[in-house]
Amino acid sequence: MANIPSSVEQVEQLLAELTAKLTAAFSSWEQVAFVGVRSGGELLARQVVGRLERSCGVKLPLGLLDISFYRDDISKRLFSPEVKNTEIDFSIDNQTIILVDDVLNTGRTVRAALDHLMDLGRPKRIMLLVLFDRGGRELPFQADFVGARVDLPDDKRVKLKAAGETFEVVIKEARP
Amino acid sequence: MSWAHKDMVGIQDLSASEIATVLEMSKSFKEISRRDIKKVPTLRGKTVVLFFYEASTRTRLSFELAAKRLSADTVSLAGSGSSFTKGETIIDGADNVMAMQPDCLVIRCPFAGVPKALAERLPCAVLNAGDGYNEHPSQALLDMFTMQERFGSLKGLNVSIVGDISHSRVARSNIYGLTKMGAQVTVVAPKTLLPSGIENFGVRVTSDFDSVLPSSDVVMMLRVQKERIKEQLFPSDREYSTLFGLNARRVALMQPQAVIMHPGPMNRGVEIGHDACDGERAVILDQVENGVAVRMSLMYLSLGGGANVD
Repeated sequence: MANIPSSVEQVEQLLAELTAKLTAAFSSWEQVAFVGVRSGGELLARQVVGRLERSCGVKLPLGLLDISFYRDDISKRLFSPEVKNTEIDFSIDNQTIILVDDVLNTGRTVRAALDHLMDLGRPKRIMLLVLFDRGGRELPFQADFVGARVDLPDDKRVKLKAAGETFEVVIKEARP
Repeated sequence: MSWAHKDMVGIQDLSASEIATVLEMSKSFKEISRRDIKKVPTLRGKTVVLFFYEASTRTRLSFELAAKRLSADTVSLAGSGSSFTKGETIIDGADNVMAMQPDCLVIRCPFAGVPKALAERLPCAVLNAGDGYNEHPSQALLDMFTMQERFGSLKGLNVSIVGDISHSRVARSNIYGLTKMGAQVTVVAPKTLLPSGIENFGVRVTSDFDSVLPSSDVVMMLRVQKERIKEQLFPSDREYSTLFGLNARRVALMQPQAVIMHPGPMNRGVEIGHDACDGERAVILDQVENGVAVRMSLMYLSLGGGANVD
């Protein structure tokens, strides 16, 4: 487990490695699409897709998923209501969907994202790409592409924050 | 911001920023009703009871669809089919319903104040679908959503509400909401259909319909609430229509980008003519579509509404 790579150079390195892993995994980008889970996954997805498009010379479909209505903790009334939209303007039927999120932790967000995607169509395959895997799984999910495995104390969380055209890695207090 | 209300009894209880929250959230819910699978699991396992002591097409259907699209279970009761006809009081009826553990009660009745009384008495969320001529908060919210969709912002918008203001809960809730959001509201009605003291609500008042048309961004027409009126308040429908009906001549006085609204049901030929309600300025059916989205927002907020903040 590493310390959190959060400098601009370290993030650049992680993104380069992820791009390389993706390029190695796909001989063809036919029928492959990316879906970022808002909000952190959106920031990461835009960067990843941008790099892939430049290095492979392809145009890749990018959709955005808002999972607010699929969460399993809605009755807990813990947080402020801030809902964005799901924007996927292409069919996901028969596609390989690479779901992108910033951090993989308990796995509940992935569960919600999968339920939402399945309500929108029938992908051929769904794979998961995350920047950080911090462990702490409460549901049996694993990522197919991981930037870095990190170790965070329970009272901290790591998030991606928009910074100009890209993002920065921010370590914050966990929500109560 | 977080949502502090268990119930939705009236626009009077909401701040401008709370209204803005509902309007913003309704955009997301509107998208759901356009999908192939018009359902999200958000309120799965929750029970919503709809108790409508007055006739309704739009509001009842809208609240029911809103609940169902959020995966809640719904049961709908009309006053005429309930034990209200056997002499049971509304409070007793509500207590009995509560014993069956609903999570939400949506209530429409001819008596002002009942939703507030039930909200204070019952632990479930109580949503007011119209109480006498007091408030119809979900209607005002969907009206404001429709206006915002069309004009981008409510601030400074010129809204004319025309018709039976005295007996209209739609007028009252819209006046409360629009003034909070910084719109300029004018009410237009014959003096017999204007409540006394209406100027104190922060609105302009006139009985000259033609005079407001060139400057209105929104012309909202209201039906004469005959079922609530016991006296003769104007000589005839025809005279009412001549002076206060939105006919072709009056539509031509409106700006091209202005819109025509009506909460429904319309009495064609009385307060509104075919040229108005079937013409290109009319957003009446948009209002209906938006009603489902806005009511989904209200249920979502009242029954949990905790969403992720990154």
